[in-house]
Amino acid sequence: MPDTDLDLLRGTLDLLILKTLSWGPMHGLAVLRWIEQVTEQRLQITEGALYPALHRMEQKGWLGADWGYSDRNREAKFYKLTAAGRRQLTAELSKWSRYTEAVNLLIAAQGVR
Amino acid sequence: MSNGPERKRPRLFRLPTSRQRLRGDIDRELRFHIEGRVEELIASGLTREQAEREMAQRFGNLSVVRHQLEEIDTGTYRRHELGEWRSVLARDFGQALRGLVLRPAFAAVVVLTLGLGIGATTAIFALLDAVVLRPLPYLNAARLVYIEHPVPGVETNAKWRMSQAGYFFFRKNSRALEDIALYNKTEASLVTPDAAERVRAAAVSGNFFEVVGARPLLGRSFTDADNRPNAAPVAMLGHAFWRQRFNGDSRVVGTSVSLGSTPVTIIGVAPPKLDLPDYQAQVWLPLELDPDAPAVNSHYLDAIGRLRPGVTVGAAQADAARLTSRLPEEFPVAYSPGFMRESRFGVLVSPLRDIVIGGMSRTLWILLGAVSIVMLIAVANVANLFLVRAEARRRETDIRLVLGAGRLHLASHDIAESILLSLLGGLLAVGLAYGAIRFLVVINPSSVPRLAELSLGWQAGVVALVLSLGAGVGLGLLPLTRLALGGGSVSTLREGGRTQTASRGQLSARSALVVAQMALAVVLLAAAGLMVRSFQRLRSVQPGFDASNVLTFEVSLPYTRYVPRVRGPAAYVPVFRYHRDLAQQLAALPGVTSVGMTQALAMKDGDGCALVFVKDRGYTRENAPCVGNIIAGPGYFTTLGIPVRGRVPTWADVDEQSGAVVVSKALADHMWPGEDPIGKELRPNGPVAPWYHVVGVTGDVLTRGLDQPPSEIVYYPMVPIEGAPLWYPPTHMTVVIRTRATDPLSVAPAARRVVTALDREVPVANVQTMQTIVERSTARTTFAMLLLAVAGGMALVLSAVGIYGVISYTVTQRRPEIGVRMALGAQAAQVGRMVVAQSLRFAAAGIAIGLLGAFATTRVLQSLLFGVNPTDPVTLGGVTIILVMLGALAAYVPARRATKVDPVEVLRQQG
Repeated sequence: MPDTDLDLLRGTLDLLILKTLSWGPMHGLAVLRWIEQVTEQRLQITEGALYPALHRMEQKGWLGADWGYSDRNREAKFYKLTAAGRRQLTAELSKWSRYTEAVNLLIAAQGVR
Repeated sequence: MSNGPERKRPRLFRLPTSRQRLRGDIDRELRFHIEGRVEELIASGLTREQAEREMAQRFGNLSVVRHQLEEIDTGTYRRHELGEWRSVLARDFGQALRGLVLRPAFAAVVVLTLGLGIGATTAIFALLDAVVLRPLPYLNAARLVYIEHPVPGVETNAKWRMSQAGYFFFRKNSRALEDIALYNKTEASLVTPDAAERVRAAAVSGNFFEVVGARPLLGRSFTDADNRPNAAPVAMLGHAFWRQRFNGDSRVVGTSVSLGSTPVTIIGVAPPKLDLPDYQAQVWLPLELDPDAPAVNSHYLDAIGRLRPGVTVGAAQADAARLTSRLPEEFPVAYSPGFMRESRFGVLVSPLRDIVIGGMSRTLWILLGAVSIVMLIAVANVANLFLVRAEARRRETDIRLVLGAGRLHLASHDIAESILLSLLGGLLAVGLAYGAIRFLVVINPSSVPRLAELSLGWQAGVVALVLSLGAGVGLGLLPLTRLALGGGSVSTLREGGRTQTASRGQLSARSALVVAQMALAVVLLAAAGLMVRSFQRLRSVQPGFDASNVLTFEVSLPYTRYVPRVRGPAAYVPVFRYHRDLAQQLAALPGVTSVGMTQALAMKDGDGCALVFVKDRGYTRENAPCVGNIIAGPGYFTTLGIPVRGRVPTWADVDEQSGAVVVSKALADHMWPGEDPIGKELRPNGPVAPWYHVVGVTGDVLTRGLDQPPSEIVYYPMVPIEGAPLWYPPTHMTVVIRTRATDPLSVAPAARRVVTALDREVPVANVQTMQTIVERSTARTTFAMLLLAVAGGMALVLSAVGIYGVISYTVTQRRPEIGVRMALGAQAAQVGRMVVAQSLRFAAAGIAIGLLGAFATTRVLQSLLFGVNPTDPVTLGGVTIILVMLGALAAYVPARRATKVDPVEVLRQQG
């Protein structure tokens, strides 16, 4: 793995998954691929973190799950956003932007004399 | 991006159903991921081994992840399952509730009908539970037995209690019983400076508390030493009495109160709720028991035994029989072989509970059967309503089914609705039962034992719940039979679209329900009718006296002051003088026409049983008959309106010790058949002079109850003749006063003042009218009759509603047919007759089946009946007529409606 990997900020994984699934139902492997692809492999997410997160979000009712067939015609578990998941995504997004704004403000601030 | 899933399972059944399936799903999901990744890595140039190693690294510990996922999924699954249930329940009950709110009349009728039926059953069950099923309120109640002596040679109805000698003998030698305790329900006079008060007292043997397993709340309870004849007088207070009279003051222990004219020391307070069997004692006293006294054949003691652990009542009975057979050798005078033979003296050990409950157990089970029938009729009515509605909804249901609604779904909706209704009915039932129980406690029918313990227990609540749930599920499943039978195919829909007639199966089911209802009503009405007839018969019995306008009360003279310690008639004189003065002063009261007194009042007290020796008859102690013996004052016969042929002894007779006695007609007929009894001579103890002579004969008197034969009684004077002693001076007497007032109780205050003025230490007790006493003797019949009549009335009304409903419905259904008939020339009367005939056919079928049922079941009433046969043709005929009329009446309104059908309008609708 490249050194440029960023450690994943705590709680960000949920946001990443929700956002990924907002494009449509996917199985776990596809979610992982999508994140790696879009972030150009900068974020390192392990399967050991991904799957518990998926299942926990299913329990919370943010994700629905259905068995279906992959493009290679193998049986796979597909996750999709539920209405609650969509609401959660909106909330997480606004939280994220408020967070980054605050961090940016601090970083950009001039020193005080 | 991958393709979307191609196949979805319905949400309800998607969830894995077990841990194993959860694991399988997790494995499949992870395997898919790993395989996909490995292939990817191989494609990017790694070997398979390298790729797999890489994957293992990325997952960390795979089994840990797997376990983690499993935990999460189990939680998810449980939560979903619960949620699904909740939503299904919420949906079904919500829909049901909305449906009922939209049809309040339907809901009200169903709830009311079920509430009445289940409520009646719950109330009677609560009664049965409190009176019969619950154990007596003693520790080890199941091991307590009652011991008594049947004496079929003397009395066929009553049994004798235990004698003192028998008690000591049994207690010492019994192998089956751990111990035996004695008690007497008695009364005592509690004297305070203001007045004397009569209190209910329990006189017990020293071991009574120990035998029933009770400890005193305060102080000590009695010991055997307290029973000794010359023991220091002591008493215990009943718990409730202590709270009321002594404000629950614990310092009362050790103080002294006056009972009669003797000061007694209070040694303790009984624990709460400790009573004699069915007798709430206010004061507890020790019985006077003397182990050294010579054996006397006097059976006045109630005996409770406690079985040794593991010993059955049967074994105790055998043991007691063994001891009883030894009585003649132990006590050759009191229990001589001749006495044992003539009286057929035996012994009977029975569970104490059976003695307390008496015949009420059978009555209550019969009543429970009766109200269960009412409930069945009520449920049948509701079932009919449900069927009508299912019929009305048939098209809707069919359409739903054809459109693919699940049968399970439709059924669960129906069941939710019926359960909701029946639970509401059950709630109403509990309310009604509570009211009924309260009512019963308030009217306090004397025929029901253990009423003090009566309450609506949780058991009754469970019965109401089970009955209503059972009814709910049963009724909910009713429409299901049609679903199961394959309703809802396109063909039934088509059929339903053309005609609106009820399907044959439905109609015959409803007809069967109505016929069953009618049959059940016949059985109940027959039972009620038989009770009413018994009651009428009992009421028309002439008791041999006139109970109207008579006041009665009891007086007791303090023994120590009124019975001098002398032998012979002189011991009786103070008691006689008191009563003579009392009679004269009471007779002087305004509104009083005559006054009398007796040791044993007809219908209230037993007649007792004493040997009678008739002069020149050669009777010995072995073969003399045992007859009623009552000491009565002059005026007793006049006051009670008992006709006497010959003359009635006067106060002068008593004063002069003339030995004049009166005998009852039954006794005279027995002793001197075909002869004039007046002038005959007899005496109660031994066939030797001097004799009492008969001066008068009463008419037949029923002293033991209206359903008993006339009593054989000798009425002895208050003072015996020299050399022919009676038993003991009658210090406890019942005074009878005939008044001009229609309410004899209005004389009571004045009478009470007279008693107090004459002797302040003499208490007045049990003030009541003679009418009340007579009514009490028929109380059990009255109680059973009233409740059965209520049940019968409910059955009648419910059946009427049921048959009306079906007839009315068929008329609506047959409107087209009736229209055609009328168009073809049928007269209105013919059409009306047709409808009535249909109703009568139901009634006839119901009556036929019901009469068979009545023939089979009314026998259980036998013990409650008086003067009527269980298959009394008048009763059964009457019931038949009532139900035929019911059938005709129920059809009247629908029949009129049928005659009003306008053929033109009907035919137009059809076209």
